[in-house]
Amino acid sequence: MNTHPYVRAYMGGIATPTMVLLIVLTAFVLARFVFAIPVPIERAIIFPMAIVPNLFGVWNMLYLWLRPHQHLPIGLHGAILPFILAPSGYALGRALNVLNLQSNGLVYFQTLTVAYSHMAIAFIFGLIVYYLVWKYFVAFFNRVLGIG
Amino acid sequence: MTSGDEKLQEMLKHAIGPAGTELQRDLWPNMLARLQEKSTAVPWFDWVLAAVALLALLIYPHTIPVLLYHL
Repeated sequence: MNTHPYVRAYMGGIATPTMVLLIVLTAFVLARFVFAIPVPIERAIIFPMAIVPNLFGVWNMLYLWLRPHQHLPIGLHGAILPFILAPSGYALGRALNVLNLQSNGLVYFQTLTVAYSHMAIAFIFGLIVYYLVWKYFVAFFNRVLGIG
Repeated sequence: MTSGDEKLQEMLKHAIGPAGTELQRDLWPNMLARLQEKSTAVPWFDWVLAAVALLALLIYPHTIPVLLYHL
């Protein structure tokens, strides 16, 4: 009987970001429609909404596929993901004209400037969060789905 | 049921034999061990990492929109 382990890995991967997405979406909606921030947030929302959860699913499928060959702990496997997500987000932001490169830092929506030093801190924060999320949350869903 | 069917049924019963409906061993000790199993404790290193991440967020709150977009 085929128990479809890769489908379960995909489901285990997308569960956490799908739940977090509610928080992200709420923040975006509040900023745009309640606080009337005059920036085209809807142009940028496609990245956290569509790409991130699917990438989690595919990344978890890759983890399952790699496991017999080399056993990298799931937390470290998850911590590699920001190295793909950060440049992808940057490339999409440039393509959608929501992100610009300047000498003092990155400018989001032509209004929010974030210095490069702060970008580095944000990236390290991302690594830590992804490590912990994959170690505890994605691993938990994998165990629930019988692939942990 | 025809006599042929009855004969076939008998032959099948004879060939396969009775199914083992009794448990081979007591499963309750395993269940008790599972219930008493302690949940995995979070190592101190992970607590430190979580604290560092939270501290960074408190010190640099303007990076939150960046994180919401990229992560």
